[in-house]
Amino acid sequence: MHTAAIDPPGIHWLRVSPRYVTVRLVEWAFGNVLMVAVFSLPLLFVQLGWWKWPPLWFAIAVPAAFLLLALWRLVLIPRQVRAIGYAERDDDLLIRRGIFFQRTMVVPYGRMQYVDVAVGPVERLLGLCTLKLHTAAAGTNAHLPGLPAAEGARLREQLSARGEARLAGL
Amino acid sequence: MTQDQTAVDGDWHRVHPASPFVRGWVALAAIVYFFGRDTFERALQGRGTIGDNFNERTLWLLAGGALVLLLALGSFVLSWYFTRYQLAEGYVRVNTGFLFKQQRQARLDRVQAIDIVQPLLARIFGLAELKFEVADAGHSAVRLSYLKLAQAKQLRATILGRAAGIADGSETVEVPEAPEQVVLYLPPGRLVGSLILSEQSFFIVLSAIASVMISVLTESRAFILYLIPAILGLGTAYWRSFNKGYNFTAAISPDGIRLRYGLLDTQAQTVPPGRIQAVKVTQPPLWRILGWYRIHVNVAGYGEHHRSEAEHRTMLLPVGRKFEVMMMLSLVLPDPGITDPERVFTAGLTGLDSDAGFITTPRRAWILSPLGWRRNGFLATDTALLLRSGRWWRKLVVVPHQRTQSMALHQGPLARLFGVADLVLHTTPGPVAPRLIQAATDEAVGLFDQQAARARAARKLQSSEQWLAQLPPAALPVLPAPPNTVSVQHVPNQEEPHHG
Repeated sequence: MHTAAIDPPGIHWLRVSPRYVTVRLVEWAFGNVLMVAVFSLPLLFVQLGWWKWPPLWFAIAVPAAFLLLALWRLVLIPRQVRAIGYAERDDDLLIRRGIFFQRTMVVPYGRMQYVDVAVGPVERLLGLCTLKLHTAAAGTNAHLPGLPAAEGARLREQLSARGEARLAGL
Repeated sequence: MTQDQTAVDGDWHRVHPASPFVRGWVALAAIVYFFGRDTFERALQGRGTIGDNFNERTLWLLAGGALVLLLALGSFVLSWYFTRYQLAEGYVRVNTGFLFKQQRQARLDRVQAIDIVQPLLARIFGLAELKFEVADAGHSAVRLSYLKLAQAKQLRATILGRAAGIADGSETVEVPEAPEQVVLYLPPGRLVGSLILSEQSFFIVLSAIASVMISVLTESRAFILYLIPAILGLGTAYWRSFNKGYNFTAAISPDGIRLRYGLLDTQAQTVPPGRIQAVKVTQPPLWRILGWYRIHVNVAGYGEHHRSEAEHRTMLLPVGRKFEVMMMLSLVLPDPGITDPERVFTAGLTGLDSDAGFITTPRRAWILSPLGWRRNGFLATDTALLLRSGRWWRKLVVVPHQRTQSMALHQGPLARLFGVADLVLHTTPGPVAPRLIQAATDEAVGLFDQQAARARAARKLQSSEQWLAQLPPAALPVLPAPPNTVSVQHVPNQEEPHHG
């Protein structure tokens, strides 16, 4: 259980599903493998003798750097997923995330304008969903990914009910 | 045609018949020019409209032009005929369109702001456009263009009266306009001064010096030519600011804050009480010489500030001295929640360290902002949170507790090393983005918790959207009389009962 200095004391954080790691891995594969492949093309061309310009060491160094970066991101994924947490308090919902760049957010129930539940293809396979909270502020970028579908539905109903009970104007 | 001045409840009204022409005169002029050019040229050359080489082509062209013109006129008339509005049962409804009909209704008590806009041409004809804003980030919910100016004002008064909860449900709809008290007038001289000393002038001087240096070094004069478009662009920017800021007048009325401004196009904004979500007072470095400040606000209906229209609408004070800033702050925040607002706001504007109780970045983190650490700070009063920052570009942000939407604490690795954190307050879209920079972690976490509790308490106090229905009459904003103000006029009729 990861709690950092910026978390309010005495909060019992709920974790998102560990299966969310798989979703992140698929996203990671799409983004990073493609990028490393593209940046490896010059190396291929130099090896084949089509290109003269990038010296060999440079053609190796660039994709190698990207590969390292990608691997670093890969290593971080499980920890990042473990760092996502949420807590329902009496009047507001707390959401935290991040290890290096941490963010703890509080969204009062009475401020919620609407609640979205979004399911992507990979998430659907794993029975997960993403909850998005919207307030009148564009800065409220409150995503809660990797919730089990049942928990997502429960949370949506719960939040809507509580929001209605505490609804305030702008 | 229902063009009478009294708006009776439930009646459908049309906008002024001339409005499509005021809106679409450019299109009409273009059509006439395009098809009639040939004839005009002949007439100008004194060769009679039907010349010697008159042929079928010209005739067809003229006939086509007339047809297009008729079609355009017809669509104008139809669009005018099918645009109708109604004010009833706490709603304003607008029907538009004849092929694709649209019916729109907006709740009156959801009003965030009402603007009366007069573009130059409309102003010549004595017409005005009324914009009714609700909180949907920058699209006017209701736009009535154009009405007669008096009618637009009457409609505004009625809408505000209903929204305030005083003329509720009754069939007598003739709500007199709320009396207003002018509190601030911006002399044109100061506006010009503020433009000359603004940030953009600073950068112009810098870039002028740079371009002169470059042309000296490269010994080419052609470089100057590249600057011409830039100069034209800047000229328009200055002109826009001048045009918009000219004659800036702020007034207070029971319906809220009224702002009027404009040289060619005039605009009158009314922001009802409690609709201002956040306030920002800034001072560019050059303005410090003359002690000037400017104020921006977030209003839910005005939307993103980088849209040029919204840029001027979110300006609560284009340029003003300190007492004017204090006065505007007292209008926005009638109850600052502290015993000595003057001292606290002064500390917020110009102060350093822990003046008046501000809590700043801890000394250990000075390296993160060597200039600003003594200024970056916060102070929570009973009703609002004050965030101050910037040593050169001084900035003070005020967010009323009951307007806080949500909050987030941010901490990066470097900040963690120095034991500081940022607190971001989320508010409706606009120029003000409240952020507490580099507060000590325990202070930030404490504030995060307390602020959530304070916002909760403040929300519970404010239950109704109808601002006059819930307040006793004595709660109208009481102005602190600013000392020795030349530009302030007091109109003594503020305390009269203003609605029948």
